[in-house]
Amino acid sequence: MTRDFEGKTEQEAIDNAAKELSLDRENFDVEIVDPGKKGFFKKSNVKIRIHLHNDKNIEPKKVQRSEPVVPAKNENDFEKSVIDFVKNVIEKMGYSAEVQIAYRKDNKLGLNIVSSNSAIIIGKKGKNLDALQLLANVYAGQLDNTKKIIVDAENYRIRHEEQLVRMAYRTAVQVKKTRKSKLLEPMNPFERRLIHTALNDVVDVETKSEGEGLYKQVRIIYKGSSQRSSDSSVSSRDDLL
Amino acid sequence: MEKDLVEYIAKSLVDDPDSVSVSMVEGEKSTILELRVAQDDIGKVIGKHGRIAKAVRTILSASATKSGKRAVLEILD
Repeated sequence: MTRDFEGKTEQEAIDNAAKELSLDRENFDVEIVDPGKKGFFKKSNVKIRIHLHNDKNIEPKKVQRSEPVVPAKNENDFEKSVIDFVKNVIEKMGYSAEVQIAYRKDNKLGLNIVSSNSAIIIGKKGKNLDALQLLANVYAGQLDNTKKIIVDAENYRIRHEEQLVRMAYRTAVQVKKTRKSKLLEPMNPFERRLIHTALNDVVDVETKSEGEGLYKQVRIIYKGSSQRSSDSSVSSRDDLL
Repeated sequence: MEKDLVEYIAKSLVDDPDSVSVSMVEGEKSTILELRVAQDDIGKVIGKHGRIAKAVRTILSASATKSGKRAVLEILD
């Protein structure tokens, strides 16, 4: 039996496969169908094909990443009350929605909101979704403070991550071309981390966070291989350029 | 309705739900919602650096876009 999966990287595709099939890595073989197009502007997904060792003990979930997820059965009391909380909040906002369990991973509980008003539930730059997620976490924290709740709708979070990483690569190319540093929009720690990791292995640029508080800005700085400066102050670096 | 929304969220977050009360002052263009909670629960509805209060206000304005009226949340102590 074979099945195909995708991911931003080979590792991610493998992780996705392992997660969907609830299998350990050693229980299947991986064949890379499409290694993904390299380049800064567009990173297409890596496609892999999974060959399962043993067909019998495996029941693949009927779940596809891009489709609405089938609600997981027999949720426990904790999950049920968190789901009810999110559903009630949305309904009291005046919108109708179904809230389902998208995944359970370690201490994380992923919830998926299915609604015809997704646009409003997500909000500008996902701010309504983030607010819902924060409240859900505060609420869940009273019941079990080891669990983290991820609230998503229409796969917004994964799309947003991909978009951020693409934007980071694009900006890095500009910084390399102009040799001038660039300051990105204010972002939360999770988003900044994505940028730092994405540009970690890009030569000639480095990243630094600036500002105070939760929402800091990332600056992408040109670091020419010939004239490497160890000066950490951003302003004097700008003067040099 | 906005009042129920704020009341529901506040009651879900505090230790003493019976002390939660929301009063509504209707204006022409905006509705002011005044939230009162037990003294010990104020931190629970405001949160560190006002994170929870901010989230509640975000949710509230998302809800208010439906009616086309602005809703303002005030937390009273």
